Amino acid sequence: MTTYILRRILQTLAVIAILSYICFSLMTLMPGDPVELMISANPRITQEDVARLRSFYGLDQPTYIRYYHWASEILSGDLGYSRTYRVPVSEMLAPALKATFVLSVVSLIFSLCIAIPLGIYCALKPNTKFDYIVNLFNFAGISIPSFWLGIVLIIIFSVYLNWLPAGGYQTTGIVYDNIFHEILDKSKFLILPVVSLAVQRIGFFSRFSRSSMLEAMRNDFIRTARAKGMSENTVVWRHGFRNALIPLITITAISISSVFSGALITETLFAYPGVGRLIYTSIMSNDFNVAMIAFIISIAMVLIMNLVADLLYGVADPRISYK
Amino acid sequence: MNTKSLSQEVKNLEKAQSFLDIVYSQFKENKAALFGAITILIFILIALLGPALEYVTGIDGDSQNVFSRYKPPFTRVTAPQDVRETAIKKFIEQNVAESAKIQTVLIEQKIVSPLRPEDALYDWVNLEKSKAITAMKQVDSTKKSELIKMMSSFETYHILGTDELGRDVLMRLIYGTRVSIGVGILVALVSALIGLIIGSIAGYYGGLIDTLLMRVTDALLSLPILPVLVVVAAIDLKKVLNGFVNLATTIMGDTGTRFAQDLVDHIFSGGKESIYKLVFILCLFSWMTVARLIRGSILSLREREFILAAKTLGATDFTIIVRHMFPNVIAPMLVSVTLGVGESILSEAALSYLGLGIQPPTPSWGNMLFNAQELIYQAPTLAFLPGLLILLIVISFNFLGDGLQDAIDPKTVKR
Repeated sequence: MTTYILRRILQTLAVIAILSYICFSLMTLMPGDPVELMISANPRITQEDVARLRSFYGLDQPTYIRYYHWASEILSGDLGYSRTYRVPVSEMLAPALKATFVLSVVSLIFSLCIAIPLGIYCALKPNTKFDYIVNLFNFAGISIPSFWLGIVLIIIFSVYLNWLPAGGYQTTGIVYDNIFHEILDKSKFLILPVVSLAVQRIGFFSRFSRSSMLEAMRNDFIRTARAKGMSENTVVWRHGFRNALIPLITITAISISSVFSGALITETLFAYPGVGRLIYTSIMSNDFNVAMIAFIISIAMVLIMNLVADLLYGVADPRISYK
Repeated sequence: MNTKSLSQEVKNLEKAQSFLDIVYSQFKENKAALFGAITILIFILIALLGPALEYVTGIDGDSQNVFSRYKPPFTRVTAPQDVRETAIKKFIEQNVAESAKIQTVLIEQKIVSPLRPEDALYDWVNLEKSKAITAMKQVDSTKKSELIKMMSSFETYHILGTDELGRDVLMRLIYGTRVSIGVGILVALVSALIGLIIGSIAGYYGGLIDTLLMRVTDALLSLPILPVLVVVAAIDLKKVLNGFVNLATTIMGDTGTRFAQDLVDHIFSGGKESIYKLVFILCLFSWMTVARLIRGSILSLREREFILAAKTLGATDFTIIVRHMFPNVIAPMLVSVTLGVGESILSEAALSYLGLGIQPPTPSWGNMLFNAQELIYQAPTLAFLPGLLILLIVISFNFLGDGLQDAIDPKTVKR
């Protein structure tokens, strides 16, 4: 078990290192490097100045040497500066990570709270009218483009009804009296992003929990439990649901990565200051330092989540052994 | 009942149903899948008939008109007098002799009666559309089709309104259908092919190759796909292709340079380079599910007797994989390709929506949304329609894929 965990952690670290190198070389392929941006700001710059600037910043060296310099600085704790905002990257990253974490976790919990009861109810009464209708909605949920859903929600709730803010994180320039006031204000901004992020998850989880519950209820031990005269509640919850839970745990942990990735669009659409939006805006504005760190950190978080999922899997299902 | 038809019935019952018959009869009963299939067919038909529809309605999807921006659905746009007269002035300047001829005919036929004979075309251009076109059709001139086209562009009916440049939304949606569905199907097919090759190599040979390929597959599968796509889509195609040209030069010398340069020029010639780039990127990140699926099937097929028989008879690995294994994995692959089309359409739309996918003026449903989101207040329909179409086509592909899965899976066959 310990060796398994150690090996997985090492593997994850290796993947992160490889990806950071790939990401670094991709960034060199993006339009415009820092010197080109300086040239556009100063039209009277001479060719010699350009060459000197390039060698001063080390841009004339091959990618792997630049990567080596960059990586050794990262490892010594210096994440660099944002070119656009003129603040250290570490200062920008912490609030963004927190915002994305809140958004992803709230929407994940929200979608699980709706999807699992729905899926189980459908599994217990399969092929009824209710089941068909839920199935239809599940398909719609899976197929709906989340950015479009977000736009439609904004049109309905912000433009026409004027109930909820169209975007942002908190009321501008507000000073909070107490923590409840803060939560109330921020949750108002969170409702639309959470819903638009959750709809796809709900469709997915609900379908999945329906099928895994159906599978679990088909087992022989369910028939045995019924034959022993156990109450239907005990059969469903103690015997059926616990077995249906095992695949659900994995799929939930794996889907954290897709919640994370879906958050990029939702955050951009609702101007919510999370990591996804940070990646997007920094790439669009050639802010390479920020883009790279934000990207690598979000990938690292996803990979660590996957690792946790694998370990949890073993806790939930003792039949699985680690080799 | 007479004995003949009875024996016929018995014969029918005794005849074994072919696999396709079973699949078809299962599929037919699934209403949702049937709905999906029909919707997809309609969309593909519309996409293929795009130019024909453009010809019939006489509306040019690319023609811009700053005077009629953000018109609501069901509006008739009529060009003001000065726009018409500037256009006709330009026409007369370009075809002096021909327009003089047309003008005399117009006056002779008493269609217009201007104060000065050289104003005949100016009077004609301000006539009502249907009247002007019928009149012009009777004129015998080589330039009449040009004039008729000009006239019909002055008065257009926009069923779904116009966008931020005064272009017809319906026409752009139709052309967007071509791009979105085309990209979706192309990406799904190519990534299925990549997945098929990688999956079968990994599954058939096993060992180190398998471990290596599957590590890569797993690593790619575990990535948050959208941030990765955003980062990769932001790379500059020109820089990559310059690197490619240099590479070709070092490998093959001058011929390599010429060949690579031609290829690069070809990619950039049609204004379609964003489509090529997008297809390439989406293929790069969507073959993994198919590869896993194929690997699993091949692993179990490898132990079967008919493969052993083929091996004993001295078949090469290639023959075994292609002739004996592929027919057995086609069915599950079909399902995964169908589901993949929906996914690819969604990814394309997401990237185009972020401004990193297909670049305007080429319309795709995603980049139409990108333009429209700024104008939710002025023109909500502009943001609503492309997304609705995306939803419709993706849900159709998902229904179809699900229906195919149920129809193909022997566990669900009800006989």
